Amino acid sequence: MKPGRALRATTWSPYAAGALLGVTATVSMAGFGKRLSGAGAYQHGSGYVGRVLAPHSVYWKYVMPTGLTWEIWLALGTLLGALASALLSGQFRLRSMPDSQWQSVFGPSVYKRWAIVFLGTALIELAAGIAGGCTASLAVSGGAALAPGAFVFMACMFAGGIPSARFIYRKSRPDTEAP
Amino acid sequence: MMPLAPLAVGLAFGFLLHKAGMGRYDVIVNVFRFSDLTVLKFLMSALLVGMLGLQLLSSLHLTQSVPIPQTYWLGNALGGLLFGVGMATAGFCPGTVAAGAGEGRLDYLVAGGAGLYAGALAFGFAYPKLMPWLATQGNLGSVTLPSVLHVNSWLVIALIWELGLLLLYAIERGPWRRGPSKKSA
Repeated sequence: MKPGRALRATTWSPYAAGALLGVTATVSMAGFGKRLSGAGAYQHGSGYVGRVLAPHSVYWKYVMPTGLTWEIWLALGTLLGALASALLSGQFRLRSMPDSQWQSVFGPSVYKRWAIVFLGTALIELAAGIAGGCTASLAVSGGAALAPGAFVFMACMFAGGIPSARFIYRKSRPDTEAP
Repeated sequence: MMPLAPLAVGLAFGFLLHKAGMGRYDVIVNVFRFSDLTVLKFLMSALLVGMLGLQLLSSLHLTQSVPIPQTYWLGNALGGLLFGVGMATAGFCPGTVAAGAGEGRLDYLVAGGAGLYAGALAFGFAYPKLMPWLATQGNLGSVTLPSVLHVNSWLVIALIWELGLLLLYAIERGPWRRGPSKKSA
C-alpha cells in the first residue's frame, strides 16, 4: 500500500498497528526513559485541585509531583494523533454516543451514557492508581520491560472484564445486536 | 520541560490507537465477549515487538535507564480486576479516552475527562490510607521476569514469543474462530 493511502485508511490490521505501537513504546522507553501512559496525565494533573482540597496530603506533597509533566503532554499528543488519523480517514465527527451496539443494551439516553462514562472512567483511573499503571503504562510498557506485575495486571484485567461483559450482555447474542 | 518529545510519542500513540479502532466502544467491549479479538491482537503485537526492541537496544547499550514498573502482586491484581470491570462496562481505558476524544467523541472528551480527573483525585485521597499497606503486599520492587527467575532475558522473550504466536495462530486458524460482528461497522 502507498504511504498516502495507508494514512487515509479507516483501519489498519491490528497486527501492523500493534507492531508499530511496540516500536513506539521501545523508542519512548529506550530513548527517553519514559513509559507510554494514559492514566498518568490525570494523576500528575490531580494536584491542581487536590492540593487545594487537602493542603497537607502526603500524596500531593511528596508522591505525585504536580505540573505540566511528560505524561500530560503525551495525553495531549495522543488526542492530536487520533484527531490527525480521523481527519485523514474522514472519520472525524462530533458525537455524544457510541456509533453501534451500546443502545442495544443501555438504550438511547445520552444522560445514561455520560453518567456511565463518568463512573467508568473514575473507576478505571482509581484502579490504575491501585495497580500502578494502565493498559499503556503497565500492560504494554511494563510487559515489554518484562515486569511480572504487568502480566498479573493483564490476566486480572481480563478476569474482571470477561464476567462483567457477560453480565451486561446476558440477554443478547452478538449477531442480534442493533446499532 | 521541552514538550516536543512527549507530544511526538503521543501523536504516534494516538494515531495508532485510532487506526486500530481502539476509540470504539464495541471494539473494546467485544474482546471480553470473544466476539472481536482486535484488542488482543493489537495488545499482543505491541507487547511482543516492544520486548524484542527493548532487549535488542539494551544489549547494544543503546538505552536510557528503562523505567520498570513495580511488582506488588495484590495491588497489581486488585487494580487489574477493577480496571477490567470499568473497561468492559464503559468501553475504554485512559489512553483510548484521549484517542476517542480526538475523533470527536464528546462523551469521552467531557464526561470521560471529568471522570478520569475525579478518579485521580479519589486515588490521591485514598493513597495515605490505602497504599502504604497495599504496596507492601508481595512487593518485589522494580524486578523483571529474568531477574526473578535467574534466567537469560532472551530465553524469557523466546518463550513469551512462542506462547504469543501460538495464541495468535489459534485465534486466526482455530476451529473456534469468530469474526468481528458484521453489523457493527
